[in-house]
Amino acid sequence: MIVSLPVFLPLAFMIFAFLFRHYHGREYVAVGAAALNLAVSVILVLKTGSEGMLKVQMGNWPAPYGITLVADRFSAMMVLVAAIVFLATMAFSVHALDVKRKRFGFYLFAFGILMGVNGSFLAGDVFNLYVWFEVMLMASFILMSHGGERNQLEGSVKYLILNLISSFFFVAGIGLLYGKLGTLNMADIAAKLMEFDTMPPEINPAFILIFVGFAIKGALVPFFFWLPASYHTPPPVVTALFAGLLTKVGIYSLIRFYTLFLHQHGEFWQPLILWVAGLSMVIGVITATSQFDFRKVLSFHIISQVGYVVMGLGLFTVAGLGGAIYFLAHNMISKTNAFLVAGYVHRRKGTLSLKTLGNFYKEHPLWSVFFFISAFSLAGLPPLSGFIGKYLLIKAGIEAEYMGIALTALFVGFFTLFSMVKIWMEVFWKVEPENKKIKQRNLTNKADLKQSAAWMTWASGGMALVIVLGGVFATPIVEYCTQAAESLMSPQLYIDFVLN
Amino acid sequence: MELIIAIFIGLLYACGVYLLLRRSIVKLILGVFVLSNATNLIIFLSGGIQRSGISFIGEQAEKASLESMTDPLPQALVLTAIVISLGISAYILALKYKYFEKTGTHDLDQLSKTDQK
Repeated sequence: MIVSLPVFLPLAFMIFAFLFRHYHGREYVAVGAAALNLAVSVILVLKTGSEGMLKVQMGNWPAPYGITLVADRFSAMMVLVAAIVFLATMAFSVHALDVKRKRFGFYLFAFGILMGVNGSFLAGDVFNLYVWFEVMLMASFILMSHGGERNQLEGSVKYLILNLISSFFFVAGIGLLYGKLGTLNMADIAAKLMEFDTMPPEINPAFILIFVGFAIKGALVPFFFWLPASYHTPPPVVTALFAGLLTKVGIYSLIRFYTLFLHQHGEFWQPLILWVAGLSMVIGVITATSQFDFRKVLSFHIISQVGYVVMGLGLFTVAGLGGAIYFLAHNMISKTNAFLVAGYVHRRKGTLSLKTLGNFYKEHPLWSVFFFISAFSLAGLPPLSGFIGKYLLIKAGIEAEYMGIALTALFVGFFTLFSMVKIWMEVFWKVEPENKKIKQRNLTNKADLKQSAAWMTWASGGMALVIVLGGVFATPIVEYCTQAAESLMSPQLYIDFVLN
Repeated sequence: MELIIAIFIGLLYACGVYLLLRRSIVKLILGVFVLSNATNLIIFLSGGIQRSGISFIGEQAEKASLESMTDPLPQALVLTAIVISLGISAYILALKYKYFEKTGTHDLDQLSKTDQK
């Protein structure tokens, strides 16, 4: 029962939200529902922590035939982190988003994203995973273009086309896989693959198609172009929601598929995954340094940081996977909070171009602290959560004797620090350049300036607190991640649990 | 039969990719539709195709042999995929309309206003 709640709850909200005709009621109900979703996911984490795995057979059809929802420690953890991110963005949007967008169903589609994301984390069936992906994508398409500004429509076209193509890759892969194996249940596919001594060559094309699908969704090199072309166009709170949730689902699915299926053909996939990880890290971080838009710098960093997670997967040791899971959770929270600060800067200054910003530290010291915490957590400064994540991954890389990738990860850390310092210098420390054009732009959102920002402060402050706590009290979290990695490393457990 | 459909799918993919590479947004969208149909056909084909075979059998009927049956699952999957692509088609056309209203252009090369110069 508890396993299906994270999917059921957003759906129930979407239906009941129609009852609240006035948007003002709707936004508080949305925050309440997001808090409820967080409570459910905490219960889910505690339950999987004690029992290991949970499952629900939809409509009581037995495992390989019906749709299964499975929650193991990894997916429960992801559901929890997604719930934290979602609650923060919902609370942030109460004061951050304009009335027009709120009135036209922003919360409906935001909960649509949550439903799709939670569903993908819990799906135990390949086609079901695809359907959840589509639910998530459909809602995100709408949020991307919601409001209908010219920039947004332009970003939406790019986002839409490339994400649709990734869906085609994924579905075509599923079709071929079903044609070869005759099953869609993940556990059943893994069991059937285990019967072969070596992976039969005719199955690999299906997995390559699926891998490309996930790589586009997860914004890995060389398929990342849609992300920096579109993430800076919608309102900042929407970007924060996307940055926290969407690409991470692609990476989650890649980890799930690799540990269940692809590792059985490890001699082909492991070098490929490691190369993709290394290139994503390097190319993402180097392209970020040349950008002069607050959100574009952060968007390119998503690519680099996704590379770290995939590197932990490519090492394929318990330590590496545990580090990858911790890093994924850390990244979802820190990245979202960095975008939330960008939202606040946008509210106060009316622009996000680094060249025209300045003086922020003098005017808003509290928000500078929030940005400092999240940005330097991304860069990996102790005692913040990013340091623990990077430390675990690099240590695992050295232990597994993949020196090249471990050194790349270290080296990329410096560049991350560089661009975070760049944002810090340009937005927070520099004296604001005098420019008539900018002044005018500021005047246009004078109404915004007067509005209260209390909910924004609480949301971003809460996230900053989570980042600090995640770094200081890392021991139980790392332990949980290691247990999650151990159960991922022994797919037989998963197969036996789902099929029996 | 399967071979003919497989070749047909290949042709559809070729057409779809060709349309995707055109400069006009309308042709791009048509390309997406063609690709989505080609992908649906792949799923349809993955269950194998039997002429005049049946998928479901009534309780009183005598047992049908497995050879004369087509796997019904891919057909159910294709139905799901078609419904999804219907929703996406509706959205994508609305987006195109709105984009044209704002900018008055069909040209993909005009989509560079948000890029860093």
